[in-house]
Amino acid sequence: MSLSSWTPASHSDRESKYILKQIKKSITSTFSFDSFSLTEKEQLLEASPFLEAYSFYNIMVEEAPKGYVMVATAPSKTDSFEYLLLFDLNYKIKKVKVLIYRENYGGEISSKRWLSQFLQSDPDASFVYGDNISAISGATISVKSITSSINYIMDSIQKLKSQNQI
Amino acid sequence: MGALHLHKSYLDLLKIKMRNIVTIALMGISLNLFGQNMSLQDSLQINSNQRILKNLAGLPQGITLGGYGEILYNNPENLNSELDVQRLVLLFGYKFDERVQFVTEIEFEHVKEVYVEQAFVNYNLTQGLNLRAGLMLVPMGIINEFHEPTIFNGVERPSLDKYIIPTTWREIGMGLSGRLNGISARYQAYLFNGFLSHNGENGLLKGSNGLRSGRQKGAESTMNHVNFAGKFDFYGIRGLRLGLSGYQGKTQAVDGQNEIPGSEIGISMLGLDARYAYRKFSARGQYLRASLHDTDLYNELTGRDLGSKLMGYYLEAAYNVLPFNKKQRLVGFVRYENFNTHHEVGSLISKNEAFHRKEWTVGFSYHIAPGAVYKIDYQTKSTAISNSKKGQFNMGVGVWF
Repeated sequence: MSLSSWTPASHSDRESKYILKQIKKSITSTFSFDSFSLTEKEQLLEASPFLEAYSFYNIMVEEAPKGYVMVATAPSKTDSFEYLLLFDLNYKIKKVKVLIYRENYGGEISSKRWLSQFLQSDPDASFVYGDNISAISGATISVKSITSSINYIMDSIQKLKSQNQI
Repeated sequence: MGALHLHKSYLDLLKIKMRNIVTIALMGISLNLFGQNMSLQDSLQINSNQRILKNLAGLPQGITLGGYGEILYNNPENLNSELDVQRLVLLFGYKFDERVQFVTEIEFEHVKEVYVEQAFVNYNLTQGLNLRAGLMLVPMGIINEFHEPTIFNGVERPSLDKYIIPTTWREIGMGLSGRLNGISARYQAYLFNGFLSHNGENGLLKGSNGLRSGRQKGAESTMNHVNFAGKFDFYGIRGLRLGLSGYQGKTQAVDGQNEIPGSEIGISMLGLDARYAYRKFSARGQYLRASLHDTDLYNELTGRDLGSKLMGYYLEAAYNVLPFNKKQRLVGFVRYENFNTHHEVGSLISKNEAFHRKEWTVGFSYHIAPGAVYKIDYQTKSTAISNSKKGQFNMGVGVWF
């Protein structure tokens, strides 16, 4: 099942506006340009328990792609959360940020320092909970979820790249 | 990929189903995602025909079901065994919209006693800041907040978390819970109703278990003094989580009684806790100290033997003996506890050495699936009285979903 056939979004205006603001802020603070536009990428990633939904964009500066940004939905224990992944042109992760975390427990994964463990020098490396991705006591389910979610996205992108689909 | 697969996929199916129902229910209202007000100033331009974020799956409304339970076997040396459904707790949550959620846990203790363990409304003020009001857990130490059987070792909760921190300690109150993502910290600050020290007939607090018998648990509770509880958690060092908890206030006494000196005592409690995990190794520790004021007056009035200082600590180390990449975990652990509800006493009573307890617990937690555990351990319990050592063998099953 491709994600585009999923149920339409049910975000409130408030959440949508907040997410858009965060996308913009993340791009301008990570890359050195501050004038850009976003164009939607084709939805090629398959659904997974760890990727409930996503939106994927090219970051364009004067008609030229400069990077990519994805907003993904992953599960926490009884709810879901949105996080942002910012890539350079080689699909190396430049930034990870939890945008909306809804559940009472597990929000510790929003820690900037903890999320910096996902910044990559090698796009092929995988993230291992408890090893190169440290545990956070009291947030285990969400820690495992975002780790699995990012691994899934990176694996999928590698596959699509090897097939020259993206 | 992580170890959550099976467990999560069922949950996800359920969630997708619920989401569909919600979506159908909302059809008529129309989900206005990106229709209006998206003219962000500055330089971010988005094509007008793009429905950005259209595929995100936020669940604005819906019901959450969950729960945990523990069924235990305790065999103290030279005594009959006890088999008990110690707790079965059913969690229900309802989300009114993306900012307002109600959470409640209905607890069955020993099959036939029913309690409400939590019942509060969480109002999300901004990302990472919540206003909460209702029946809530007092944030003190580790176990009172994180007490599901799959997230602690040992068949029984640490004894420190029974005698010094009266787990499960909950009262009605209100306050703030928030996160500081930049410094990897979580904070909680609440105003709570306090312990009942005198019900008009008897003093409820006593030397053997400190404050435990004074919990009101939100059941027709009486209040004449507001209490403060707060906790600060720091998790900015990889694998390590540190907590600092504080509690300050006065106990309550029923109308008429509260004017009689000695009916109420003052409480200051401080807790430090640490949890660490790296690969197959984990460790945790906790240190607690409580100062009780006016205990001489209280003991004189009630004939009780309440101590003036409670103190305790425990240390635990654990190691998963199964390969790191397996979904199942077999965790061997050892824990040492040392706590005293008569760490200091006032001038009217003398220290009861039987209240200075030391316990060793050695055992295994076999996590057969994320959320389901078999436990087995052996405890030796002794007090400051010589030749007081006793053994106890325990087994249990625990679930959390």
